[in-house]
Amino acid sequence: MAPPAASARYPSPSQPSGKSEVTDLKSQLRQLAGSRAPGVDDSKRDLFKKVISYMTIGIDVSSVFGEMVMCSATSDIVLKKMCYLYVGNYAKGNPDLSLLTINFLQRDCKDEDPMIRGLALRSLCSLRVPNLVEYLLGPLGSGLKDNNSYVRTIAVTGVLKLYHISASTCIDAEFPATLKSLMLHDSDAQVVANCLAALQEIWSLEASHSEEACREKESLLSKPLIYYFLNRIKEFNEWAQCLILELAVKYVPSDSNDIFDIMNLLEDRLQHANGAVVLATVKVFLQLTLSMTDVHQQVYERIKSPLLTLVSSGSPEQSYAILSHLHLLVVRAPFIFASDYKHFYCQYNEPSYVKKLKLEMLTAIANESNTYEIVTELCEYAANVDIEIARESIRAVGKIALQQYDVNAIVDRLLQFLEMEKDYVTAETLVLVKDLLRKHPQWSHDCISVVGGISSKNIQEPKAKAALIWMLGEYAQDMSDAPYILENLIENWEEEHSAEVRLHLLTAAMKCFFKRAPETQKALGIALAAGIADFHQDVHDRALFYYRVLQHDVHVAERVVSPPQQAVSAFADTQSSEIKDRIFDEFNSLSVIYQKPSYMFTDKEHRGPFEFSDEIGNIPITPETSSDIVPAQQYEANDKDLLLSTDEKDDNKGLSSNNGSAYTAPYENSNISSQMQELAISGPATSATTTQSSFDFDDLLGLGLTAAPAPTPSPPLLKLNPRASLDPRAFQQKWRQLPISLTQEFSVNPQGIAALTVPQSLIKHMQSHSIHCIASGGQAPNFKFFFFAQKEAEPSDYLTECIINSSSAKAQIKVKADEQSTSQAFATVFETALSKFGMP
Amino acid sequence: MPVAASAIYFLNLRGDVLINRTYRDDVGGNMVDAFRTHIMQTKELGNCPVRQIGGCSFVYMRISNVYIVIVVSSNANVACGFKFVVEAVALFKSYFGGAFDEDAIKNNFVLIYELLDEIMDFGYPQNLSPEILKLYITQEGVRSPFSSKPKEKPVPNATLQVTGAVGWRREGLSYKKNEVFLDIVESVNLLMSSKGNVLRCDVTGKVLMKCFLSGMPDLKLGLNDKIGLEKESEMKSRPAKSGKTIELDDVTFHQCVNLTRFNSEKTVSFVPPDGEFELMKYRITEGVNLPFRVLPTIKELGRTRMEVNVKVKSVFGAKMFALGVVVKIPVPKQTAKTNFQVTSGRAKYNPSIDCLVWKIRKFPGQTESTLSAEIELISTMGEKKSWTRPPIQMEFQVPMFTASGLRVRFLKVWEKSGYNTVEWVRYITKAGSYEIRC
Repeated sequence: MAPPAASARYPSPSQPSGKSEVTDLKSQLRQLAGSRAPGVDDSKRDLFKKVISYMTIGIDVSSVFGEMVMCSATSDIVLKKMCYLYVGNYAKGNPDLSLLTINFLQRDCKDEDPMIRGLALRSLCSLRVPNLVEYLLGPLGSGLKDNNSYVRTIAVTGVLKLYHISASTCIDAEFPATLKSLMLHDSDAQVVANCLAALQEIWSLEASHSEEACREKESLLSKPLIYYFLNRIKEFNEWAQCLILELAVKYVPSDSNDIFDIMNLLEDRLQHANGAVVLATVKVFLQLTLSMTDVHQQVYERIKSPLLTLVSSGSPEQSYAILSHLHLLVVRAPFIFASDYKHFYCQYNEPSYVKKLKLEMLTAIANESNTYEIVTELCEYAANVDIEIARESIRAVGKIALQQYDVNAIVDRLLQFLEMEKDYVTAETLVLVKDLLRKHPQWSHDCISVVGGISSKNIQEPKAKAALIWMLGEYAQDMSDAPYILENLIENWEEEHSAEVRLHLLTAAMKCFFKRAPETQKALGIALAAGIADFHQDVHDRALFYYRVLQHDVHVAERVVSPPQQAVSAFADTQSSEIKDRIFDEFNSLSVIYQKPSYMFTDKEHRGPFEFSDEIGNIPITPETSSDIVPAQQYEANDKDLLLSTDEKDDNKGLSSNNGSAYTAPYENSNISSQMQELAISGPATSATTTQSSFDFDDLLGLGLTAAPAPTPSPPLLKLNPRASLDPRAFQQKWRQLPISLTQEFSVNPQGIAALTVPQSLIKHMQSHSIHCIASGGQAPNFKFFFFAQKEAEPSDYLTECIINSSSAKAQIKVKADEQSTSQAFATVFETALSKFGMP
Repeated sequence: MPVAASAIYFLNLRGDVLINRTYRDDVGGNMVDAFRTHIMQTKELGNCPVRQIGGCSFVYMRISNVYIVIVVSSNANVACGFKFVVEAVALFKSYFGGAFDEDAIKNNFVLIYELLDEIMDFGYPQNLSPEILKLYITQEGVRSPFSSKPKEKPVPNATLQVTGAVGWRREGLSYKKNEVFLDIVESVNLLMSSKGNVLRCDVTGKVLMKCFLSGMPDLKLGLNDKIGLEKESEMKSRPAKSGKTIELDDVTFHQCVNLTRFNSEKTVSFVPPDGEFELMKYRITEGVNLPFRVLPTIKELGRTRMEVNVKVKSVFGAKMFALGVVVKIPVPKQTAKTNFQVTSGRAKYNPSIDCLVWKIRKFPGQTESTLSAEIELISTMGEKKSWTRPPIQMEFQVPMFTASGLRVRFLKVWEKSGYNTVEWVRYITKAGSYEIRC
């Protein structure tokens, strides 16, 4: 039975065919409901299949709910399953109707066939209708005591489902205690495994507000329990083994004997056919031995082979997951795969995501013994058809050059790339040669002679152009025609679109001037003039700065712009070691794939399912405003604050580990403070309350300037006029006249983002909150909306521009208001309305 | 939490939902739209099999013309997720009897719903072994009329064994003729430089079994691998027989193999599942016998002509032969005309993949075959980009040959009723990714 043809695929009210078919089905089902004729089950099967196939392709068949339930009286198990499936799908949307199903499901829970008992119980627990919870308790209780293990496995998961519908009902019925005793005494492995999964979830969610749950959670990690599981691990299926291994990771061994006992018990798991089990075992081994350095090293030796097997077997997606983990390991212990580098050679047909990771691996494991072979191989890829991979491999060669002491051979290779005469190869190579020279100035002689031969006309990419210009300035004395090349470039100032390139041109012209003044003077003059006239702020500022320094004293200028060369000893690492450790702790999870710890991409689980999308760098809501909203939101704001501050800490660390940042730091500070003053002056004049001398970080971002001052009572909850109207022209005029009174950014929940695929739905949604849309546009990922709203009872308008970026899940709003003092209150209303978007 | 998948979707290439199952409420029903707009309709699709949108992660795989997407909202175990999808697809295949694609899903959607219910509950993987599930998911998949697998009669009320300790075999099986089939299937991966140096070479092998045995038999398998032989000679306290021993880099076994016994005695002993299964997998990097050598010479004569000469030598035993040999020799995009001679087989120019495809149906051992071709190119003005030469790729199958040299020394079957069994052992070596740069 195939689903109906494409015409019925997208149901809409204007498509009567889908509707009439549903009515058709309805009457057919009704006819069959009472019939006891032979063969009636076969015709029921066909009808049920039709219903389910409509359901699958998204046609709403909830209208036949009653008929389906009437037909459910059957002994045919396939029919029953289809009926359960149907009921499970529509019960949530029709809580009243689902009451009808309770009766027959409860009856089936007492059927003599364990299969039917199990299926009925599963469907009953999957209805997910809160007010039917009371009907669950009885069947669940007897399900847990059922003498058939199939029913018990389902009942155990049922308890977890119940917990998610109504935690208190589940706890009050003391189901967790029952699960615990089942876990310890049941003879069936799957029942035990499901108990473990359910208890872990329940207790870690409960632990935040119950000390007892906290203790129970701890008790899962007690020594007897861990050994109880590990000794029996072979009785469990592969997925349950993963669960147990994941539990064992959290166990804190009492002494080294304990550690060796566990490793001996688990050693053979490394030979399991299921890669997930192997990886979970690897995690246990690594975590257990963290404190024992020499054993830890031996562990690396032991896990190497199984991991390499996993890379080359299985689908590319699986290889990808494993390679991400290897990359994490290799960064911690580069030696482990040093002799196995050939495993990371790319195959021609591999998808690029695998190739990219392999390139990263090759870069990470390169050392004195294998560099030659690795670089030779990487050079092969530079001629790859896939340009992105070709670029990556050149970058890889460059990275190896930067981490090695013996760069001789590599420099030759890099220079050979320049002779390949492919735009993107040349571009990538130039950037690398620049970095290489910054670290090893002694190679300048070899490099410069080749770089000097490159025609700047062939280089289009800004980064490469900037690199070339940097070298022209830095090594002007070694390149005979450097001033003339620069002059040429400066003459085409107008055509240069990249500000980065123009900045580099200015600096290079200066440097060149100090070395070869007579030849460069003219070009420098043109450059400074063009720079000062430049529309880009940074270019303008730098040109002006150079001009003034030169005016002040040429020698000082030389000391500032072109000090004696200093080799960079190490480039800043992009990730702090603290973060890397956190990722390592979360081995065998998404963290490794994303290369960031889980707090950066998921939220803590106890925050409930609908609030997990805020990211770091969210601007915190100012305390005055958040304190008078709902406590839950305040909690969220605090949490954001926490995240932000850790992020800042990380940033600072990055800075201080970076060479030479010591002197830039104070400069940046002063810059910020001057900007703050400017902001303070240019802030809206109406806010006379901003005279408080202490500016906090928010002020810099233009936040809170118009917020109500602390002593005034909290603003009353804003009421909006649901039937407000404003014609577009008036809107435009007002938008031009009013100053921006508030800018705010906040995150949008994923449901909202998903629902945004139809932007009209947002407009409708906001309208239901009395915020009306006047214009909208944009495409994924950026959507732009103009909204307006009116205060109830008085003609005071709020105009809002709202930009939603669906890939970062952020919304940015600019509010202009007649009454600026209430714009913060309006923004709160707006945010609350938006946060409900996409919720069922 | 190993997976705790919130939902699983099966989509066709256009992004229509073929089947979906939501296990948890923490993701909205419209997640699939997000996947469509942010992944399928962008070039992100081929870039990475794990993506994050909002707070949810999408772990997805393409299998034939179907995308299988797992949605998770927590920090899930990715390796487990992918493995789950692979296993689930294997399970579906064993039900439909062969292909897994859009049509198969459409034709069996009720069955798939049933299976999805059983293999995962509230996001936790449950039992995925086909042997057990087939006992109680009784609705036979609609098999295509061309596959002729024996239909098994379901054992009524099988739930008692569903979750038992020997999860992979049910009791009370009985066959008139007790047979065991064992295939060693190896694939050779090779990367050779244009100068004929082996850059990378390894063999991944599988031992596949098909058992039609009554009762609860105990099997023991002996191979000529180094560790096993050494252990044996040590236990019998006599020197190992001379002869080739194979060093396996890494071995993994089906869950039926008693790993404790393997670690102590180095023998592979097991109670097999009924029917087909993969007993073990191994990997070898040392001492690989390459079945073919390829010697290419490609000369670019000026801007519009090329000369290609490829010699293929078979280096396995003279009594053996390879089947289905295909050599794909890349040529530039702007190829206008090709002219070639081959000493055996047939060749033709396939412009859609920019290759000369040379096929030899049967290639005896210890022989060689040559292709020589002249290629004329369309002259292009101004395009001075040189041609990036992709590697030559080869496909083949060599029956009765193992690139690793691995051999079965014995396969013993023991069952308490003491019946006789017939054992069949086959070897075959296939090309994995067999690439020669030129």
